[in-house]
This record gives sequence, structure tokens and C-alpha cells, in this order.
Amino acid sequence: MKSESLRGYSLLSPTLLAMVLGLAMPLVVLITLSFWIQDYLDFIRTFSLKNYTDFFQKPIYIKILFKSIRMSGLVTIATVLLAYPMAYFIAFRVKHNKLVWLILITVPFWTSYLLRVFAWKIMLGYNGVINSGLLSLGILSEPLEFLLYNPTSVVITLAHAWAAFAILPIYVSLEKIDRSLLEASRDLGENVFMTFMRVTLPLSLPGVIAASLLVFIPTVGDYVTPALVGGPRGIMIGNIIQSMFGKALNWPLGAAISVMSMITVTLMVCLFIWGTHNFRKRVA
Amino acid sequence: MEAIMKKEDIIEQLATGQMSRRQFNKNLMALGATMVMMPLGSHMTQAASTDHPTVFTWEGWEIPELHKAYIDKHGSSPNIAIFADEEEAFAKMRAGFKVDLTQPCTYKVPIWYDAGIILPIDTSRLSNWPDIITSLKTIPGTVINGQQYFVPTDWGQTSVVYRADLAPEYVNNETWGILWDPKYRGRLAMADSLIDGVMVAAIYIGAKNPFNMTDDEVAKTRAALKEQLPLLRFYWGSSSEMEQAVAAGEVVAATSWNDGYTKLKSEGIDVKYMNPKEGAMTWVCGFCLMKDHDPAKLDKIYDYLDAYMSVESGVYEIVEYGYGHGNAKAFEAVSPDKLKALGFSTNAEEMLASGIFQAPIENEPALQAMFEEVKAGL
Repeated sequence: MKSESLRGYSLLSPTLLAMVLGLAMPLVVLITLSFWIQDYLDFIRTFSLKNYTDFFQKPIYIKILFKSIRMSGLVTIATVLLAYPMAYFIAFRVKHNKLVWLILITVPFWTSYLLRVFAWKIMLGYNGVINSGLLSLGILSEPLEFLLYNPTSVVITLAHAWAAFAILPIYVSLEKIDRSLLEASRDLGENVFMTFMRVTLPLSLPGVIAASLLVFIPTVGDYVTPALVGGPRGIMIGNIIQSMFGKALNWPLGAAISVMSMITVTLMVCLFIWGTHNFRKRVA
Repeated sequence: MEAIMKKEDIIEQLATGQMSRRQFNKNLMALGATMVMMPLGSHMTQAASTDHPTVFTWEGWEIPELHKAYIDKHGSSPNIAIFADEEEAFAKMRAGFKVDLTQPCTYKVPIWYDAGIILPIDTSRLSNWPDIITSLKTIPGTVINGQQYFVPTDWGQTSVVYRADLAPEYVNNETWGILWDPKYRGRLAMADSLIDGVMVAAIYIGAKNPFNMTDDEVAKTRAALKEQLPLLRFYWGSSSEMEQAVAAGEVVAATSWNDGYTKLKSEGIDVKYMNPKEGAMTWVCGFCLMKDHDPAKLDKIYDYLDAYMSVESGVYEIVEYGYGHGNAKAFEAVSPDKLKALGFSTNAEEMLASGIFQAPIENEPALQAMFEEVKAGL
């Protein structure tokens, strides 16, 4: 028994080591840092809760954190709603060469993330594709300025940039559904819509949950996209953290904000999983 | 750099409607290919030249034309790393990024000295040192305990570049106030920076010393920034982003350095560079030798410095960028007509004395926190 578990750990050891060095250690450093205080160029290395009291007392951090969560929530909803029909189409309508379709969907994701953000700048820009198209068709006389440099353009860009992470898990869960269940539902008199609501959707929920988490968690902390397309009002919590570790030169406060946003995101995710769990129970 | 140029071309052609769909797709593909290849390219040069020093500098000052003598002697450029501003550079170096030379501006030298990251420079090893403009050699804060911690190589202004065709009423009324003009709501841009952004607001509200403000002046600056926020298209982080927007007419007026104006002007765009009645900001940048430098590369480090300080580099910087150069003889090598066309009507000393000289900012972290709060809408 003992040697068996030892063998298990030794099999795991490369991964375990990578996880400890790459994930657990930095996390410990970050948490330690968040209890120190920045003093001009140095740290005061004694335990202090000052950064956390700052976090709760100054309105900026909580405000921006909730704004980021709201924006990521919108991104998640938009991404899942757009990804679901695509995944559904491939799972149920495509009969041959499914792999080709899946590869085609991931093609935009072979380029760098930054390039996709820039592509959206070209799409939405003042002289971008949408504006110049509408201008040349005579629909507009002046370029639209509200397309770029605001929170909406951040949501649009993120929703596209993370689409593949939503399509693939939803596709997998749809693909796994036993087709005879759908037939049974129709045979027993349910219409197409009710079959979808009572059979397909509940059975594909694990994929939807995975997709939502895969999109929601990383986008809350994103700072590149808001920096490039967000304009003066589009900043998110990632930009504040970046500034703390850069221009504002207050690493401990930046660490405390990071820890607080991690905790908040974890709570949001728990709430979400609990909510979908109840939903599934109710539908079933 | 190349990818950015490509993007500029695409946007310009789109703007003038000269591009067909096929051409557009082709360009987009080229843009994609360059962008994908870029990290690979820079990675390879880094791996290939471990015997060269690393120079950490601003975008635009890394080009081979500004250190040609170094390439002639050592075969290739040194390793280059780019920062968007000194705060970013400082944070990266604090986090363990080891470089040999950096190119900050004078207002950062005292803080970097306090942080113990810079070393004195032996000017006797620099053949071009005697030709450096005398007044630049003794800027307060750059000579500490009689030792030279900074080699001045570049100087210029921070002012407003604006479209004279779109805002003609400002041609004979040049003021920082254009950046607060509600008429141009959504078509103004300011640098995302303390020294080139927040200090502009401080000058605008009439702070006695923008770099050492009273509490009352800080409150007024904050109010001015808040008032300006809804009028801005964006805070620019990279100057090419700002230049493209001004070229397209998307932005009417923006804070800029001389090179932004020179580039836009040479593209045939009707822009002007302000001499605001409140005074333009002037600055001097140059090199610091880092404590973390590799002593084995010291000869090459001094060769790079000397190459950058040469008349040849100076002429290029003056003519192509419209910046001042540290070498006095570089100005003698450019024709007086050309200098006049570039806006160098007076000599360096007078020009530097006429503006508001960028000094170290007091209470920087508090001002940065204030700026973040304004951006967050508070």
C-alpha cells in the first residue's frame, strides 16, 4: 500500500514540482508581500494590515474590482451565447469532417493574442473597417467615435478573443449527449424547443459551466485589452495592479489588491457553481 | 517597429480609400506575419549576442543610425530593450532585469541614485565629451559628489501637437487650454504619464512650481484632470498610437514630443507644434551606467556611449526627429535654414532656459494614486 502511494507521488512528481515552483511559491510570495509596507524604495518587512485597510477604505479599488467583474460577466455571457450555437451546429448538424470544422474555428487563435486585439482596433477604429465601410456606402457622413476606446469595445474584443475557450468545452459536452434521449423526448410528445430545454441544455450544462469559468476567471484580471482599446474610462482591476507594480511603485498594495481580487473571483465562481447546480436540479 | 509602420500604412490607405479589398487582405496578412515573427526575431538576436551589452531605452532612440560608429567597430548593434517610460524601466530592473546602460531623463537620476542602481561615468573615456554643450553637463541632480552620473545626449520639448486645419483658432493663440476645450470633446489626447500628463494639468491650473505643488494646487490639478477626462479620446501610452490618431483626424490636439510633430509634418499633415503662452516643458535625457552592468563589457559600453554622442548621430537626431542633441558640433553640421525650419531658432542654452524645465516630482506616489483615481472616475 505504502509503496503504491509512493509510486503514485513519484509519477506525479514532475507535475507536482512544477506546480509548487510555478504556482504555490509565487502565491506564497504574493501573500507575504501583501502584509508588508512600501516605504519610498524599500519594503518595511513587518506584519501589517495597512494594505488591506487601504483596499477597503479607499473607494477606488472596490469600485474598479466590481466594474471588472461586471465587464467580465458581460464578456462571459456574450461569449457563451455566441459560442453555444456554433458548438451546437458542429455537434448536431455537421456529419462529416468535424475535425476540419473544429480546426477552422480555432484558426483565428493561432495568431498572438495581441494581434487579435489590434485586429479589433482596425475593425472598430475611427478610420477602421466598420467606419470606412459605412462611410463609403454613404450611410454615415462622419465616422462613429463610440466604437472604440470605451468599456464596450473592451467587452467586444474580449468576447472574440476568448471564443475558442467557450466553443470547445460546450462542443465536447454536446457531442457526448446520447442521441436516443433526444429521440425519446420527441417520441413522448415534447416539441423541439422543450426537448432542447429539458434534455439538451441540462445535459450540456457541464460544458457551459466550464466555458463560463474559462472565460470569466482570466478576463477579470486582463490588463492588455483595456489598455489598448479601453480609452480613458475602460480601465479594469488588472490595470490598477499593473500600475502598483510599475508606475505607482507600491508592490505590497498591488499584492493585496491581487489577493483580494483572487478571493472575490473565487467567491463569485462558488456562487455561480452553486447557482447552476440548483438550476440543474430544478430542471431535472 | 516594422509592424507599426505597416499598420500606419494600412490605416492611411483605408482613410483615403485607396485600398481594395484584396489589397487590404494582403496587407492584413503581412501585418499578421510580421507580428508573429517579431518576438522570434528579437529573441534570436538576444540569444546570438551575449557578448554585447544591453541598452534599455525609449522607442525611437534604439535605431542603428544613432550608434553607427558602434556597429562599424563591433559588427552589430548591442542588445536593445524598450521601455515606455522610466517608471516601467525602474520596475523591471527592480524585478531583476539586468541591463548595462539606460537612457532616462534628468528628473529621474536623483531617484535612481537613491535606489543605488547607477554608477559614476568616467567621462575621460569618451572622446566626444569635450564637445557636449556645457550647460547640459551640470544639470542639478546629475552630478553628485563631483562625479558625473549622467551623460546628456538628447533634449527637446513636451508641448501640444495640433491640427492647424481642424483647430485654426489656436494658431495665433497657442495655449495648453486646447486640451480642455469642450469644442473638441472626444478628440483630445494626453500622455498617460505623470511628467508629460499630470504636470500639463498642473501648468494649466497655474501651479507655481508644478513639480513641487501645494495641497491646494494638487486639488486644483485633480479637478482639472477630472474635467478633462470626458473630453479625452485616450491617454496615450505609445507615441505612434497618438501620431496615427492625429494623422487620421481622430484626435485634434495631443501632448507630444518634438519627434511626433516632425514625423506628422513630414507626412504632409497640417500640424503645428505649440509654443504655449504658459510655457512648453523642456527636458534633457541621456545615459546612466547601471550598477548591474557586466564589467567585461565595459569597453563596449563606452564605445556605444561615444557613438551615440558623435556628430554623425547628432545630425541624424536633429534632422530626422527634430530633437536637440548633446553634441554642440552637431548643430554646426546642419545648415542654418534647416535648423530654422525645424524650430531651432535660438541656441540650445536659450531654448532650454525659455521653457519649464522638467524636474524631479515631489510626492510622486501620491500624485500617481491621484491620477489612477481620476481615471477610475473618482
